[in-house]
Amino acid sequence: MSDRQLTDWRNHALNLESEVNKVVVGQQNPIRLITTSIFARGHVLLEGDVGVGKTTLLRAFTRGIGGGYQRIEGTIDLMPNDLVYHTYLGEDGKPHVSPGPLLMSGENLSVFFFNEINRARPQVHSLLLRVMAERSLSAFNTEHYFPHMIVFADRNQVEKEETFEIPSAARDRFMMEIPIVVPNDNDIMEALVFDTKFHNVDALVNNVKPDVLQFDELNAFSGVLQNSVDTSDTLKKYALNLWKATKAPLDYGVKVSGVDMNRLVLSGASPRGMSMMLRAARVNAWLNERTAVLPEDIHAVFHATVAHRLVFSPVYEMRRTEIAREMLNGIMNAVAAP
Amino acid sequence: MTQFIRLFYILLSFSALALTARNAYAIDSQNLPDINPTYVSMKSIDPVRLVGYTVGDVIEREVILTVKAPYKLIETSLPIPGYEKRHKGQVIGIELKSIKHTKKVDDNSTTHHIKLAYQVFTNNIVAKNAALGPEYLNLVNLKNNQDIVKFRIPTVDIAISPIAIFGQVKIENNMSPFLGPLPLNHDKEESWLKLSLIFLILSALGLLYILGMRAWLPRMGGTFSKVYRALRKQEKSTQGLKESVALVHAGLSTTANFTVFSNNLEQFLALKPNFIGLKLELEQFFNLSRRINFEPKYLDPAANFDSDVNAQLWVIKFARRCRDCERGLSPEKLATPSMKAGL
Repeated sequence: MSDRQLTDWRNHALNLESEVNKVVVGQQNPIRLITTSIFARGHVLLEGDVGVGKTTLLRAFTRGIGGGYQRIEGTIDLMPNDLVYHTYLGEDGKPHVSPGPLLMSGENLSVFFFNEINRARPQVHSLLLRVMAERSLSAFNTEHYFPHMIVFADRNQVEKEETFEIPSAARDRFMMEIPIVVPNDNDIMEALVFDTKFHNVDALVNNVKPDVLQFDELNAFSGVLQNSVDTSDTLKKYALNLWKATKAPLDYGVKVSGVDMNRLVLSGASPRGMSMMLRAARVNAWLNERTAVLPEDIHAVFHATVAHRLVFSPVYEMRRTEIAREMLNGIMNAVAAP
Repeated sequence: MTQFIRLFYILLSFSALALTARNAYAIDSQNLPDINPTYVSMKSIDPVRLVGYTVGDVIEREVILTVKAPYKLIETSLPIPGYEKRHKGQVIGIELKSIKHTKKVDDNSTTHHIKLAYQVFTNNIVAKNAALGPEYLNLVNLKNNQDIVKFRIPTVDIAISPIAIFGQVKIENNMSPFLGPLPLNHDKEESWLKLSLIFLILSALGLLYILGMRAWLPRMGGTFSKVYRALRKQEKSTQGLKESVALVHAGLSTTANFTVFSNNLEQFLALKPNFIGLKLELEQFFNLSRRINFEPKYLDPAANFDSDVNAQLWVIKFARRCRDCERGLSPEKLATPSMKAGL
């Protein structure tokens, strides 16, 4: 693929960002990360308080990507089969089976939006693991494929009742976990409250130009993109040091206040996690018109791609977000490149 | 009357007899036979200095006398303090000032410790001889009261010196025909000694400083001082450029106490405002590092070096300017960055 095509796709990507930024204000960084994830072909988990715009953000992206879109709400009584099919009595009085959200769009499914994923049972998480990792599902004696599917999920970290913690294996399937916080800017806060265009979410999302991207070409382009962005030996060494530092932060002199660093990390970033980090870093480099990955590209995606993969000692799990942020900042400050 | 005269003569005779008897005892003390040496042994502790005494000096000696049975010392024969010593009828001017006598009695012998202190009561215009003693002690045989013998404590010869040289001394007559050693002028040597001492002290301080700070002069131990010195030693080549860039990166990180990248440059400048004057060059350095380490295709339009050697020269200059900032100096402003010349 020529440089021109790379440039064209970059323009599409920036156009998508721009469209989403119109309807979701004050979230430039999460929007950049989600764009990155789309082009790196990774699933995204949004984490944040209630009513901060997680669902709106994902819906806006979904509209811009185009293709089949399905959505399901996580509830405590949701079962795996609810994702695959549902049965009902038809007008003819006979039982009928309809495809569930996963199967409804067939191979054209581009976005599967799982709202409040942590309200679903572990059985549902288990099914989702396979779908996310392999983009395929066995049902009705048939293997169904979803080659263009990206899972967007969100969860509310504050509320713990009637929720199920997403296991680390499931978290690891997500390329990024992106925190969504309320913007600090007073003008934006005022607009969110008083500007009536933000009151009707459906109308707001409809403002996003549809099908900015061609969803069925994203996989092919992603491969080209990954091959077109180089990684130097110095950067490889830097990335490896970062990886080692997630496993043994003390070896790099990284400390977190009030934490026994000898006991903190049970497991650092996984090989899959580091490979996803590099994929995302390549996309970030491409979005910034670079032909090779710089440490700054890794920094841009480091928190989002690594923090949710760290497995901490249970005693520190309640402070996970804060500790992970401090530890990863410490790692970036401690590891030199070159 | 005749009777009175007779009585007078009788008294006179008795008086003469008494005087004669007294003299006879004194004479006897010296004229007694000497004791058999097997019955007595003596050891004396005499003054070490035997010359240079003058009037008023007190000279001590100690005599340790062991007398074996059946002889016994007649203690009344011990010399009496204040008794004038005479030699040939002349007062010799040495007087016994005090005596201390102790004894230790055993079964077959008695040991006497006799400490004698003599004082000089004479002087002369020239040195003259004198002697301490002799002293005569009498001993009696307890088995035979008639057997009285003497023991002589031998003399100690000393010399008494005059207090002052007698008479006038004529210097001309007393001069030596030989020239004595002339005193040397040691001002020059003293100056050299002082200079050498100052040099030695400064050297020692310098050595301590070197050992302590690993730098020859103050402020030479700074991070960029070391980096600058290391950069100057680097070989001028592509590999040298890469290592130079890595050294400057390390210097920046050490200075900031965190790894400095182009995306946290503002944080670095906020922490180290001394480097604000180098903001433009810091950005150029990171762009150069980007090309060297990560993205060979990248060309910084603001810093397009025509060769790696020139780029390396620029890095050296940049490190020197970082060193100046580190030392609190304001680096001179770049008029027009000439990247091709690296200057």
